[in-house]
Amino acid sequence: MTTMNKGIQGLKGKGSQRTMLEGALVLIVIALALVIRTKLPGGELRAVSTIFMFIALSQAWNIIGGFTGYASFGQVVFFGMGGYFTAVVMLKFHFSFWLALPLAGVFAAVFAALIGQPLLKLKGHYFAIATLGVAEGMREVVINLPDLTGGGAGISVPIAGTFAKTQYLGDAGFYLLFLGLALFAVGIGTLVSRNKFGYGLRAIHQNEDAAAAVGINTVRSKVMAYSLSAFITGVVGASYVFQQVTIFPERLFDVEITVLMIMMVVIGGSGTVVGPLLGAIGLQFISEYLREHFTNVHTFILSAIIILAVILIPQGAVNYFREGRRTKDYSLLANIRRYRL
Amino acid sequence: MSTVPILETRGLGRRFGALDAVSDVSFSVNQGEILGVIGPNGAGKSTFINLVTGHIKPTSGQVLIDGKDMTGQAPWDIARAGVARTFQIVKPFNGMTVRQNIAVGIMYESHGTNRLSVALEQAEAILEEVGLGGSGDRMPGELSTADIRRLEFAKALATKPRLLLLDEVMAGLRPTEIEPSLELIRTLKARGTTVIVVEHVMKAIVAVSDRVLVLAQGKVLMQGGAHEVLADPRVIEVYLGHRYAKRQKGNA
Repeated sequence: MTTMNKGIQGLKGKGSQRTMLEGALVLIVIALALVIRTKLPGGELRAVSTIFMFIALSQAWNIIGGFTGYASFGQVVFFGMGGYFTAVVMLKFHFSFWLALPLAGVFAAVFAALIGQPLLKLKGHYFAIATLGVAEGMREVVINLPDLTGGGAGISVPIAGTFAKTQYLGDAGFYLLFLGLALFAVGIGTLVSRNKFGYGLRAIHQNEDAAAAVGINTVRSKVMAYSLSAFITGVVGASYVFQQVTIFPERLFDVEITVLMIMMVVIGGSGTVVGPLLGAIGLQFISEYLREHFTNVHTFILSAIIILAVILIPQGAVNYFREGRRTKDYSLLANIRRYRL
Repeated sequence: MSTVPILETRGLGRRFGALDAVSDVSFSVNQGEILGVIGPNGAGKSTFINLVTGHIKPTSGQVLIDGKDMTGQAPWDIARAGVARTFQIVKPFNGMTVRQNIAVGIMYESHGTNRLSVALEQAEAILEEVGLGGSGDRMPGELSTADIRRLEFAKALATKPRLLLLDEVMAGLRPTEIEPSLELIRTLKARGTTVIVVEHVMKAIVAVSDRVLVLAQGKVLMQGGAHEVLADPRVIEVYLGHRYAKRQKGNA
């Protein structure tokens, strides 16, 4: 009994120490990000903003795809809907961006709850294909409603003059906005990974029958996870639209955005918070570097790196190192054997 | 003690296409009782459990818990009404440690704590109880068959059930490993928990059951005391065939 108590106290001590360490780390990162902001030229600022954007997007995807195990291949639909919602209410109803931003998230979340009811009954590939269908279909809907959305010709957000309720934020302003979104998303991810709701999602991921048997309302939990994930994706889409000013359905509902989210989560380590974070930073950095130095073949090299990563560490970098530390075995061959054979 | 049975089924049945997996099962269990359920393979024992816990919806009949009609309710509603179960094919949460597996059930129990840290502490006592003390940090994939069955047991206990349905938690265990499980069932009974034990291990059924229900081809063949049931020619017949039963009769 005494050893048990000691063990638990040890656990607690380690826990609060860890929280303090993490808090300090977050403060350092924020300070660093703010210092970098004053040093970088506009182009670089935009590049770092894009990294922040993908950090938020990958955290969002991780909630439904990583924790809950439902691979949403149509996640971009929430990005596009949040974005178009913002463009329409700012242009037609003269909303300020700061009002449109949270409403865009709510709009995406409500839509996710509606389509989630039927879609989340599907499993595995079926869910993936169905969500992909929703995203592709929604793009066509947007194209075919030109009076509201501008159709294929695109739509522009008012950013200056009397029509503009919110003035354009500029490179430095959007840098702060996307930094804020990234911190918000990582914060939500951290919260989910350590609370009752998140453990419920993990249980659902592992086995839905067993999860239901211990009292988890699997239907409600899945819909909530999907909506939460859609909310974050929606507000990111809203911010992206304001940054881009003029938008087109092809870009806002681009499958590539979904694919990037998934790759970042999977390569970093799905179902963890650090994994998608590192995945987003790493992949975006490598992609930018290759674009600059190997302009002609950069997608080719990037694809090769992704394929290698998926073959060698299918469970993602973070999970690979965690398991390695536990089993004291970092052999890639053993890893392939464990996950592939 | 209340006179309303903790669980009652009335004409409970489930039809899969042309097959009546379970049909017209009516029985009741009182609080604190241990009911053994036996029957040959394919008798409908697991389907019966699934019908009670809402994992399969019945096509006929009713399920009453504490006298309240819970027919066709979702599994989580049944769980929150105080009914827990194990699965014959074990379903651990593989991506979590053993301790976390238990913490999930503790947090989702209707009066349980919502705080993860508290739940993780409380999990320790349950792990000790089923004989998994010291294995809290291991992953389910690293456990032996016996320990996996213990984990399945512990996951059910985590929800603090008033009625526990055990679907072959002792299958594949050695006799020395069965005894602690039986001891645990007796401890649960002493605490007032009602237990329904579905087993093929007859020794276990005889050792703990107050009453035994025999299922055959989806129907209740008979119920009664353990020794009485096992000596009944009808039960011997469904298990060992009618020729064996006849020979037994001749010998007697």
